[in-house]
Order: sequence, then C-alpha cells, then structure tokens
Amino acid sequence: MTAQSIPADLLLSAIRDAGVQDVVLVPDTHQRTVLDLLMDDDEIRTIHCSTEDEAIAVSAGLIIGGRRPMMQIQHAGLYASVNNLRGVGLDGQFPIVMLIGLLGRDPELDPEDDDSSMVRLCRPLLETLDIPSHLLDGPDELHRIAEAFDEAAERHGPVALLVGTTTS
Amino acid sequence: MTDNTQVQRMSLDAALDVLARRREEQVVVGTMTANGVWRQKSPHDLNLACIGFMGGASTLALGVALSQPERDVWVIDGDGSLMMQLGSLGTIAGAAPRNLLHIVIHNGVYETSGSQPLPSQQQVDFARMAEGAGYAQTASFGDAEEFDSAIDELLVTDGPTLVQLYTRPADRFYSARPTPPGSTPALARMWPPVAEALAKE
Repeated sequence: MTAQSIPADLLLSAIRDAGVQDVVLVPDTHQRTVLDLLMDDDEIRTIHCSTEDEAIAVSAGLIIGGRRPMMQIQHAGLYASVNNLRGVGLDGQFPIVMLIGLLGRDPELDPEDDDSSMVRLCRPLLETLDIPSHLLDGPDELHRIAEAFDEAAERHGPVALLVGTTTS
Repeated sequence: MTDNTQVQRMSLDAALDVLARRREEQVVVGTMTANGVWRQKSPHDLNLACIGFMGGASTLALGVALSQPERDVWVIDGDGSLMMQLGSLGTIAGAAPRNLLHIVIHNGVYETSGSQPLPSQQQVDFARMAEGAGYAQTASFGDAEEFDSAIDELLVTDGPTLVQLYTRPADRFYSARPTPPGSTPALARMWPPVAEALAKE
C-alpha cells in the first residue's frame, strides 16, 4: 500500500480531538505544514525544545502538572533521545504519545524495507524498547492519535505514531 | 573569562541549608549528589528526582513549571548534569517560565563517579551561559552568607532564574545498587503522588 500524504488541517483536527493541550517539539521537516498551523493555533500551546531528550522530560513534567502533552519529533531525534526515553518514558511510566516523522521514507515501501537506516531502524528500535508504534499512512488512520493516548494510559508508558509521508 | 580556580567555594550542606530554610510548597526536582542531601534537609511530598536520565532535571522541572504557573518550581541541578543537556538553557529561556528557579551546584567534578574533572572545569560559567541564553536573571555565589542575603530578592523577581552555587566537592562516591527484582523504578513511584497533590489544589 502506498502511503498517502495527510493534510495538515486534518492532522491538527485529530490532535485537537485527542484533547492535546501542549505540543512539545523539535521541528520535523516532514511535518512542517502541521507545525505552521500549530504555531498559529490559539488553543494548543507549542513548547520548542533544543533536543528530543529534553522534549521527553518536558512532556513528563507537564503530565505531572496535569496537562495533556504530545511530542512531535523526527526519527533522527528518536535515536538521539534513547536514554531519556528509557529513563523517563519507560522507567518513569509516563504515558507519552510521540508523533514521529519518517523523513525520507519511500512511500511505496514498508518502513522496514527502506534503504534509509533512519527509516528502516525506527520500528525495530521502538520494538526493542517495548514501545508500541502505529503507522499513520493516510488520513483514514488519524483515529490512531486518540487511540494512542488511551493505549499509553493503559500501558503506563510511551506510544509512538509514525507519520508515513510528508504532510500537505 | 571566569577563573574557577580562584573562586570561593561553600560546602554543599551550607548551600542547601539556605534553600531549605525557604522551602514552603514549591515543587523541587533534585539530581545526583545534591538530591540525596536535599531530601534529608527538606523531606516533602512535592520532591521529585531525576535519577537515571542525567541531564534531564531542568527540563522535567520546566514541564512542571509550565503546567503549574502559580506554583514555584525549583530544580537543584548539577554542573555535570547540565553539561549533558546544555541546550536546556535555550529551551528554558525560550519557554520563559516566571516561576522556575534553576540552581546549579558547581563543584567542577563528576562527583558520583569518583570526582573526575568536568570538561572546561577551570573556566565554565553557567550563569554567563544562562544570561546568554536569555534567562531573566542570573547570579553566582561562593559564600553561603552572601547567598543567604541575596536569595529572597531573587525569589520574588520573575524568572526564569539561574543561580550558580560554587561548592566544594564532597567526595561522595556513589555506587548504584542492583534493582531488586520486581521493584518499581524510583521515578515511577515518586511522581504519581506529586501529580495527585498538585491536582487537589
């Protein structure tokens, strides 16, 4: 199946429908159209981090204080943040939902068959960390955002959503 | 350039005593050597700790500060810890929480692993870094009495505030104990009661 581009306004609506109050982010080229909308949004606060490991800790702090954050990063940032993901997300048992862009993915291929190591290794890494991941390969799959929050709450841990191709 | 070989240094105990005397209902995030000392000096159900993700204390505190804008949040950070996630200075300055006090214990060494020197041990200056990042106010103290005299004014001024405290290494070598089978990690035990307490108010 070919991954379909998700329009930014639909993705933002799904984020809003999931009750997200804060988007904690390191900019992702793949999701830049969504970032443009988010930064102009009056309801959802964006918190800009220097690194993805900071984004994990900020998200945890927000959860402690009663907010409902969502992380938005790129796959390279996932690799950069593994210790905080383990130490905060897993050991701390924080229900953190991460929206991760698979920049450079061939939309005709499963991510695991991609030539790019950044794309190909993403889900195996998450699997190693015992973090569930779900592909968002088109607008029909946006319901997975709200479902990911339920799953994270039930598991007491992080859940990853992989944005399969560049948003439009 | 700051010359850290010439600065006055106080004891960690004296530095934390100054803060403990001001402890009320702040959420306090500790880390590394200072965390254990702090928890003895100021036991409280709003204490949190950064254990197992070195460098994350200040951004964990940032998240709490942004979610609880009417409550003061303190982080007692280490110099080696801050060096590990130095970009957090920019993240905190950008988010600009008025209620965040960022204490940096500057002893110049990785104390828990055996007091190996910090990179740039002799000149690194976190107050100047924070000022450059855009913190609202910064200060440095090597004398506990001077810190005691100045802290109240710093606390009533909008942050984010970074206070660099020059301390003498306490040479408390730390050796991690094996986690007992089936036990819940420290952070997972610690944060739900804090979240519950914050939700009640």
